[in-house]
Amino acid sequence: MSDEEHHFESKADAGASKTYPQQAGTIRKNGYIVIKNRPCKVVEVSTSKTGKHGHAKCHFVGIDIFNAKKLEDIVPSSHNCDVPHVNRVDYQLIDISEDGFVSLLTEDGNTKDDLRLPTDDALLKTIKDGFAEGKDLIVSVMSSMGEEQICAVKDIGPK
Amino acid sequence: MQGFSDGAAGAGVGVDLAQLQSTMHTIEVACTSIQMHINPTAAEATILSLSQSPQPYKACQFILENSQVANARFQAAAAIRDAAIREWGFLSAEDRRNLISFCLCFVMQHASSPEGYVQAKVSSVAAQLMKRGWLDFKPEEKEAFLYQVNQAILGGHGVDVQFIGVNFLESLVSEFSPSTSSAMGLPREFHEQCRRSLELNYLKTFYCWARDAALSVTNKIVESDAAVPEVKVCNAALRLMLQILNWEFQNDTNSMKAGINVFSAGIRNDTASTKRSECVIVQPGPAWRDVLISSGHVGWLLGLYAALRQKFSQKFPREGYWLDCPIAVSARKLIVQFCSLTGTIFPSDNGKMQENHLLQLLSEILQWIDPPDAVAKAIEEGKSESEMLDGCRGLLSIATVMTPFVFDQLLKAIRPFGTLTLLSNLMCEVVKVLMTNNTDEETWSWEARDILLDTWTILLLPMDGSGGDAVLPPEGKHAAANLFGMIVESELKVASASVANDDGDSDYLQASISAMDERLSSYALIARAAIDVTIPLLTRLFSERFARLHQGRGIIDPTETLEELYSLLLITGHVLADEGDGETPLVPTAIQMHFVDIVEGEKHPVVVLSGAIIRFAEQSMDPGVRATVFSPRLMEAVIWFLARWSHTYLMPLEEANSHLSHDYERQLQSINSRKALLSFFGEHNQGKTVLNIIVHISMMTLMSYPGEKDLQGLTCHHLLPTLVRRKSVCHQLVSLDSWRDLANAFTNEKALFLLSSANQRSLAQTLVLSASGLRNLEASNQFVRSLMVHMTTYLVELSNKNDLKNVAQQPDIIMSVSCLLERLRGAASAAEPRTQRAIYEMGISVMNPVLLLLEVYKHESAVVYLLLKFIVDWVDGQISYLEGQETASVIDFCMRLLQLYSSHNIGKISVSLSSTLLSEAKTEKYKDLRALLQLLSSLCSKDLVDFSSDSVEVTGTNISQVVFFGLHIITPLISLELLKYPKLCHDYFSLLSHILEVYPETLAQLNSEAFAHILGTLDFGLHHQDGDIVNMCLGALKALASYHYREVCAGKTGLGSHAAGGNIAEGIFSRFLRSLLQLLLFEDYSPDLVGAAADALLPLILCEQGLYQRLGNELIERQTNPTLKSRLANALHSLTSANHLSSTLDRVNYQRFRKNLNSFLIEVRGFLRTM
Repeated sequence: MSDEEHHFESKADAGASKTYPQQAGTIRKNGYIVIKNRPCKVVEVSTSKTGKHGHAKCHFVGIDIFNAKKLEDIVPSSHNCDVPHVNRVDYQLIDISEDGFVSLLTEDGNTKDDLRLPTDDALLKTIKDGFAEGKDLIVSVMSSMGEEQICAVKDIGPK
Repeated sequence: MQGFSDGAAGAGVGVDLAQLQSTMHTIEVACTSIQMHINPTAAEATILSLSQSPQPYKACQFILENSQVANARFQAAAAIRDAAIREWGFLSAEDRRNLISFCLCFVMQHASSPEGYVQAKVSSVAAQLMKRGWLDFKPEEKEAFLYQVNQAILGGHGVDVQFIGVNFLESLVSEFSPSTSSAMGLPREFHEQCRRSLELNYLKTFYCWARDAALSVTNKIVESDAAVPEVKVCNAALRLMLQILNWEFQNDTNSMKAGINVFSAGIRNDTASTKRSECVIVQPGPAWRDVLISSGHVGWLLGLYAALRQKFSQKFPREGYWLDCPIAVSARKLIVQFCSLTGTIFPSDNGKMQENHLLQLLSEILQWIDPPDAVAKAIEEGKSESEMLDGCRGLLSIATVMTPFVFDQLLKAIRPFGTLTLLSNLMCEVVKVLMTNNTDEETWSWEARDILLDTWTILLLPMDGSGGDAVLPPEGKHAAANLFGMIVESELKVASASVANDDGDSDYLQASISAMDERLSSYALIARAAIDVTIPLLTRLFSERFARLHQGRGIIDPTETLEELYSLLLITGHVLADEGDGETPLVPTAIQMHFVDIVEGEKHPVVVLSGAIIRFAEQSMDPGVRATVFSPRLMEAVIWFLARWSHTYLMPLEEANSHLSHDYERQLQSINSRKALLSFFGEHNQGKTVLNIIVHISMMTLMSYPGEKDLQGLTCHHLLPTLVRRKSVCHQLVSLDSWRDLANAFTNEKALFLLSSANQRSLAQTLVLSASGLRNLEASNQFVRSLMVHMTTYLVELSNKNDLKNVAQQPDIIMSVSCLLERLRGAASAAEPRTQRAIYEMGISVMNPVLLLLEVYKHESAVVYLLLKFIVDWVDGQISYLEGQETASVIDFCMRLLQLYSSHNIGKISVSLSSTLLSEAKTEKYKDLRALLQLLSSLCSKDLVDFSSDSVEVTGTNISQVVFFGLHIITPLISLELLKYPKLCHDYFSLLSHILEVYPETLAQLNSEAFAHILGTLDFGLHHQDGDIVNMCLGALKALASYHYREVCAGKTGLGSHAAGGNIAEGIFSRFLRSLLQLLLFEDYSPDLVGAAADALLPLILCEQGLYQRLGNELIERQTNPTLKSRLANALHSLTSANHLSSTLDRVNYQRFRKNLNSFLIEVRGFLRTM
């Protein structure tokens, strides 16, 4: 997904803050962090000191949760970092349209029709094949900082 | 694949010359193409097919004799080896002898061939074959071979042949030495028997041959001015002698224990010290005395080296190159090896002979290292350092076999000073060199320092026999004090210099710390040897630096001084106290025994030093001083020091027992001074004040150094746990206001929520553990309750929120939840009988929230893992205390947890564009499953360890069913892919084999799908590379099959439909019988597994006798060669009938079958595997 596209798709939940401040020293591997204004999953944290008798700083390696790009940042460990609000919602898949959009059933009974099929081949195949076979599929949609994407699929039957 | 079989050996009449030539050509082409790197896989396959074809000997011999391609000859030799080892069992005695003598003759005939590696290979093949037949050959057959070798070594056939002869013996000895022998697919016992036989009957003879070979060429070498070929022989002979002296002699051990009186001589007899150093102790026993000691052999060796040294230093006075030439290196190595000669080879004459022997060696070695300053200077100017380093190694060896006292005396016979003084001077020079050129590269001075430090360590480590520290003579103490002064000076210089060249090399810090720790312990030993001098020295060094900091505050950059203090703290910590390694370390003996004239606590040098450091540390409470002086790094050293110090000195155990001896008065005085030291920081003296200071400092590091994980980690994992380790300290701790402040801050203070997760956990654990210091049970439980109630309440309230689903995803909530779970987990792992109630209630109160949180955080793997780990630790700590009703509800909860986890994850496919994230996700899943397996294992333990008043069965809970049910839930999540994680694999199979062994009857109740899955993984495990796992699977199979067999014999159904097959084509036991036989006969495995495999195979055969007969017949039918066919039939017959094997499953029978299987495999595997 390119940068231009998500301006139009922006669907931030109204009212909820997109990011929260958190002390750099408390951010752990497998947590989330905002680097260069992108939501990332932290895959590596290391600490070092500024000079032998200086203060600690954290070195983060993060992977953009939407486009998988690797980003890095160094922050003094007593300072605050932004942590993105990452939300995941499960929907039942009800349709796949010709132009690559999916139709999802929300909890309150409405449909959500503004999401594209994922670009990942494996997931795409699972969804398409499963849907074609008539399985009941649940897709997880991950959203953060105004972007959203299908990130997982689960087959819940028919038993 | 094409084969290179040339028919049965001995039927050589019809062997076609053209065919041999074409084989040779094929192999040559393959060898060249490998070298040119053209299609290497095909070439390798061709070469492999040669060694795998039946009886390829004619072809190989043809290649060896005729091929012009050296590599082809090499491969042919390798093929002979592989084929002969495999087919050994059915080669005729004559064939065997022929192969060995072919190899031997070949190397002798081609002794001057330029391709040395081919010769070496052929001679090692001969050695391996010789070993393979060692136990079968008659003595005269061995003699015949060895006669041939001896003739060669005598030198009658020229230098080259002589060299080859020595070389062959080298291969032979290394084959027979267990650590260097090559695998032959035989049980370890075989190797052991060969070793023993060689040691008893031949080793000494070989040594004499080598010595004679060296003697025969020595004159020529010494006299000639140019390089002569004899050097090669001499060098090989020296190497062989060294190798023989490296042999792990075992025939001496028994006699040694009886023979030497520990108290009589200055020879040390503690085996522990030999293990600590890398020095090999040579103990060949009295039989070797004539060869090694009384024959003047050592004198000859020293003379040879001295003559060569003399000759070369005259010829090339300015060059030291010859020091590194092979013969010089081998000779020196052998000399050093002679230094570690000890044991019953010396007569029991109070060590006189050994001392003479060592003195003789030392006077030669002395020339390599003395005078130290001149030697060091020469090396710095370009002379080779190898001679000096070997000299250091010689000293290390002598130190290993002698007590410090005798070690020191040795040199006094020829010099005005003792060996310790020499050692100290030598090391001082080395340290000086280290100081002047301080680089990161490993130079000779590094190596020399390490060897010499090892020497000191060996000398100074407390000896097992006497229990006390080694006591040095006064001159030795003086030497140690000098050396320690020099070491500290150099460490300080290195420290202050390191500030300047800081290039962010913090990555290497962790790795270097452990190496440094070892070095510091050696420094501490040296310091303790002269403790009356070194403690005041350290005190002075500290006070100089404190003053410097104080005067220069705000004016000069303190960094260099900070770094020096950092080093001093580490050194002092090591000198004053020992690590403990989980035990309570006592005040080091050296400190207890010295300072006898001091009876007032506050004047005791150790108290003065400790007091100075604690007062300095206390200054960190002042924010101003903290900002300018107490950098995080310095604070780390302070915390580390306080932890180590308080473990030994803070409120030490009062012990009245002391060994009173004849020197009563002196003893009394020493007791008084010791008492003064021990009680000064005791409960009734300064102890409580100091404890209070330490708690304040700890809390300050947690609150006032935000984000300094390393520092806070030291406080949480090192210092605070030390304080709660001893009851006496705990009692005082819980009565301190500062400790209550810490507990309050833990529940309320925001700063403490910012600690890293491991630190949270450890802090919670420490606080809960301190509850044991409260006087009664109720108070302890109350303490824990009030500590944890805030956390559980928060979780309960959070989980009851209506908008939990939305709120929970907020980063700040995730952080608080993770933090609280870490704390709960820490508290749970601190469960002790005293506080068990409170922790049980804590867990029960969050059961529902845990399930709710597992639901809302199902996508947040990090939180899920924390939830699981908390439950695992909680159940593990509680399960054995729970009453029947409680157990039932905990088990019920665990099952709900498992089902919920499984429902979230089964059939789920997550994807991400990033491969890193994908593999992360896999790792997370693996960690989750591992936690769940641990949970099941903890539940299992209820059946073994149970402290409750009623039995679990009372409430109708059947642990085995529960565990099987749990396994049933999670096995579908454990894919074969995930079993590739070694730890998960190990956990899974140990749980599986445990439950199959303990509750085989429950397995029968599983449905066929779950049953098939479990057996599928078992089959997978059977073919795993890890021997442990295969072993566990074999154990599981044995348990299953023997259960079934016994049940069936008793007229029951056993595993019933599962065994019969049900809807699967054949029953499980038939399947496993097939696959186990396949494994045993045709695949690779470690010989160690044969025992376990036998135990599994016997009940399988008994369960499926019909199938076993059929499989055996098939095997026989497939064999085309009639001799092999009858061999196989006989072997199969005796497998089940030899040794009076019966059809019962008792211990005796299992043992018989193990024996049978072993001989069966040796008999038939050779030819079966070639098919």
